[in-house]
Amino acid sequence: MCDKDIRYICALEPEFPEKLRNIPDPPEGIYVRGRLPDPSKSVVSIIGSRNNSEYGRGMAVYFAKALSEHGVQIVSGMARGIDGLSQNAAVKAGGASFGVLGCGIDEVYPKENRQLYESILEKGGLISEYPPGTPPKSFFFPQRNRIISALSDILLVIEAKQQSGTAITVRFALEQGRDVFAVPGRVTDPLSCGCNRLIADGAGIATCPEDILEALGLIKTENRKYKKINLQKFSNLSEAQLKIIKHLDYDPISVNELASKTGYGLSDLMPELLKLELYGCVEKAGQGFYILKMNI
Amino acid sequence: MFSSVLTMALQGMDVCEVSVEADISEGGLPVFDMVGLLGSEVKESRERIRTSLRNNGYYLPPKRITVNLSPADMKKTGSHFDLPVAVSLMIAMGLIPPECVENTVIAGELSLSGKMARVNGILPMVLKAREKGYKRFILPAENAAEGGAVEGVEVIGVKSLDEAFRFLNGDESIEASRIDLKKLLTGRKEATFDFSSIRGQIAAKRALEVAAAGMHNILMVGPPGGGKSMMAKCLPSILPPLTVEECLEITGIHSVAGILRSEGVVTERPFISPHHTVSKQALSGGGKIPKPGDVSLSHRGVLFLDELPEFDRNTLEILRQPLEDRKIHISRASGKYTYPADFLLAAAMNPCKCGYYPTKKCQCSKEDVKKYLSRISAPLLDRIDILCHVDEVGFDELNGSGQNGETSEKIRERVCDAFEIQKERFKHRNIKFNSEMEIKDIREYCPLGPEEEALLKESFDVLGLTARGYHRILRCARTIADLGHSDRINAVHLSEAIGYRSMDRGVWNV
Repeated sequence: MCDKDIRYICALEPEFPEKLRNIPDPPEGIYVRGRLPDPSKSVVSIIGSRNNSEYGRGMAVYFAKALSEHGVQIVSGMARGIDGLSQNAAVKAGGASFGVLGCGIDEVYPKENRQLYESILEKGGLISEYPPGTPPKSFFFPQRNRIISALSDILLVIEAKQQSGTAITVRFALEQGRDVFAVPGRVTDPLSCGCNRLIADGAGIATCPEDILEALGLIKTENRKYKKINLQKFSNLSEAQLKIIKHLDYDPISVNELASKTGYGLSDLMPELLKLELYGCVEKAGQGFYILKMNI
Repeated sequence: MFSSVLTMALQGMDVCEVSVEADISEGGLPVFDMVGLLGSEVKESRERIRTSLRNNGYYLPPKRITVNLSPADMKKTGSHFDLPVAVSLMIAMGLIPPECVENTVIAGELSLSGKMARVNGILPMVLKAREKGYKRFILPAENAAEGGAVEGVEVIGVKSLDEAFRFLNGDESIEASRIDLKKLLTGRKEATFDFSSIRGQIAAKRALEVAAAGMHNILMVGPPGGGKSMMAKCLPSILPPLTVEECLEITGIHSVAGILRSEGVVTERPFISPHHTVSKQALSGGGKIPKPGDVSLSHRGVLFLDELPEFDRNTLEILRQPLEDRKIHISRASGKYTYPADFLLAAAMNPCKCGYYPTKKCQCSKEDVKKYLSRISAPLLDRIDILCHVDEVGFDELNGSGQNGETSEKIRERVCDAFEIQKERFKHRNIKFNSEMEIKDIREYCPLGPEEEALLKESFDVLGLTARGYHRILRCARTIADLGHSDRINAVHLSEAIGYRSMDRGVWNV
């Protein structure tokens, strides 16, 4: 344990996070690598589906980046999908992020997050209630979700299906008296179904990072400018390019479909798509598919 | 009495001259021995010969009969030694005058009744005979069309041992078989699969046209039922007609492999589509003395691998050498064999396990998709110039209200033009197609203007291309420019080529 700078903090020690102490089912102690969240600064937990859509990816990065830039600490579960994406964005923006693991603190799970695991230690830390060497087990993960919600001031749900691990975390958050915010989505999108339901049930609606910052009291309501959210830079585009953009969305559309919708031949379409890609307006999703790129 | 008759032996694709010597001598016990490092099918020919001679009324004398196939240190395989041995015995028996077989090569298999049966590898043998300057080649009538494709040798097809006997004795004349290859190859043939039957899919059709024009390897990615296999089957219909040289090359390989059909010569580009359970040996060529595998059978044609990720990984890696060298070297204890393997690799696959990534229909997680795609190794992907997407078939297409596409014939005309341009370009080089250009060729033949240079540089930086990807894009852009009859590669050509090449960007953009 000492080799890897893993500390064990018992619930009785003063260093043990206050927020974690006052929940219905607190852990007896936690293992920590790196540091613990700074109690004087706000904490937002960003969670969501492991199998996110492109929209979810964009939103996770958008919120995590903006919140980090305002000094908010981002907590999540280091899982695939929304968890990892938001933490990665937070670290990249120079903010502090904390990962709560469902396995021993020396295990990297899932393996593809190794890089995140290393980079998160620089400014933030990793927390687990399971002793080092514990392998990831499916029943550990709902348990660790209560720590994610407990550590936060606000729980932000980016994308979730109706029945999901995210729903469990939300339930914990409500039991623990934390505020829940959700990013709305399309009614037809199963990945936004959970979020829309939460909003209908009274969760806060997160349409931009300012909504969260305001709730945290980091920006004053009277100072807040309701700016139009503009995720794309569409300036300086030619007429043809605008016509192409009009048919693009965050759902992938194939080149064939684009050609038939815009009425352009391939020899006209391909150069314009490449230009748009180089401008950063669109990107490829899979082979032969294009989506709008969120300019975050 | 002693006699000698000429025949040929196959060593892979190579042919060696073999002389069949027969001796019938007095003294000792009556035996019939055959020597000369014979394979088991050649050893068995002793029984076939004895019986078929008797059934035609020629009785082997009860004397000491020895047959030697020389050179004695070369393994002889194949069933075509029956007729030369039988003729050699008949000369030794005094039935045929020895001068009748001068300058004549003989090959053929005998049945017990004395009828001739077709044999493999006739075309390379006749070519060898011509090279050695022999005038006449006697072979089974069923092989006559194949042998007749070679000019300069009198090819005589015989139906039975008796007919051969009467021909050699001058009792019967048989007209030499002749095939006019040029006429055969230029004759119009109705293609079984035509691009006009495929609706929509303009992007994929265009990609296939580019692939055909520069012999670029192509990988089609798309959901099940999109028509990937159908389009691949159309590929031979847009490739230029075979030249006489190519026809002989292909026919030779197919002849050695024993898959030549009765028409004698291969007149269309081969389309070989092995099932994904194909073994390594079947793909590369295998056996004690290796027979050509699928990579060689598809020489000058298309090797189509459907459901690419389902193929055994080790089997796929075999393709790496032939894709670079355009031939395959197979080493066995019996020797080293080289077969030509210059093919256009077309492959098809689903983008993920369920087949619908990246649309909403897809049920797979990102990890599943990555795992599925990682079954194809990067070195193999690196040898594929064009990656194209095949769409799902919409209702309009099924319903028949969509537009019918161009016919293969029209596309073929453009491809042929591009072939001519490349022929002219590479007339002093020993390459044929843009896809074969090496780095120094790319520098010479793919100059870019300042605007194109800037576009490529920006793509390189923004899209994260690699050095290899850079060259592949230029090769492909050269072909696209050729299709457009343009001397220079312009930005439109370049953009299209960059669109086909996305392997560099995090491999699959997943």
